[in-house]
Amino acid sequence: MGEGVFKQRNGMVAVDIVAACGVLTPGQLSGLARMAEECGVFRLKLTSRQTLVAVLGGDGVDKLVGSLPELGLKVSPYGNVVRAVKACAGNSALCPRSIGEALDLGIEIQERYMGLAVPKDFKIAVAGCPRGCTDPYCADLGVVASGRDVFDVAIGGYGGSSRPLHGVVIARRAAKEDVFFLIGHVLDRFKALGEPGEKLGRAIARLGLDPFSPDRPVKGDEVKPPEDFTKFLET
Amino acid sequence: MRTALPGGVDLEKIISRLNNICQHCDYQGTPDCKEPACLVGFSRKVAAYAGQRGLLDIPGAHGLVPKGDFKPYYPEVVAPVLAETCRQCKECRDNHNPDCVVALVRTSMENTILSENINYPGSVFMYLAMVKGKNPELAALLGEELRKK
Repeated sequence: MGEGVFKQRNGMVAVDIVAACGVLTPGQLSGLARMAEECGVFRLKLTSRQTLVAVLGGDGVDKLVGSLPELGLKVSPYGNVVRAVKACAGNSALCPRSIGEALDLGIEIQERYMGLAVPKDFKIAVAGCPRGCTDPYCADLGVVASGRDVFDVAIGGYGGSSRPLHGVVIARRAAKEDVFFLIGHVLDRFKALGEPGEKLGRAIARLGLDPFSPDRPVKGDEVKPPEDFTKFLET
Repeated sequence: MRTALPGGVDLEKIISRLNNICQHCDYQGTPDCKEPACLVGFSRKVAAYAGQRGLLDIPGAHGLVPKGDFKPYYPEVVAPVLAETCRQCKECRDNHNPDCVVALVRTSMENTILSENINYPGSVFMYLAMVKGKNPELAALLGEELRKK
């Protein structure tokens, strides 16, 4: 597994730092700011994958990287692995448009799968509603909340390409545990069937969707109205 | 109760037009007034619940829209509510959600007059064209209401 530490054109080094789907506590942010100053960081850049790139001279890299675990942060894995998960601010406490707990699910997915080796980089995006601020249909695997505790899952998207692809939905209204089953299944099949350097979307184009589809039914759950609403109706 | 929801949906305006229908109803204030089974009562409940919770959507609520309310409704009293749903609609287009509070009221009001619901296209302009296709009289009343300030 590669790590997100890259030599830059200007001779400096970029360190890609990953938090919980882009969520930082004030303590993490101030701690990182302090370390950035101590290590001589030149600039910090927010990335499209909700990570944070610190650009600095080579001398400070080891110290910066060494300080990250204490802050609850880590260097982003890189190369042909499951990358940092992109999740929107969709949950019952934050985005008023969200219909499910996307941020919490995204963080859990990242904790479980980030860094897992696969034939080609594997990007996961989680969105709390069909508006899809995290572009779930452009990710190798996209999860979109379709109700309070149910999610649609799409696979094979490939947004960053001159031949872009949209993901194909393989399950609708899957329960959270089924989302994890689906992710595990797709990753297993991708590891078994994908050629080295082949994106999942290209593997699906070559082999068809069936080999990647779930091998057991995923129970689609009917949306049930909130219990307090049904009680409210009767009052 | 909040009268404005995220996105600026003004519930007060919807509720006041719904109340106007109730004022014309023979059952109002009698034991036969059963809100959960009544299309107008259901709409009022939806708006009140959304206002209390600050919600734009009530997941699964479209499945609870009453199907057995066969009271006679007059297009003249329903059109102002439908017009208000058009004014409050955020025109989400592809992201239209049938469990949106505005959509729940619209669906209920359609059921008072139309024999079947209109598959809302997420756009007021397209919706008006679809109403005209199903019920030109209602579309004309709706147009008149929408021209009012």
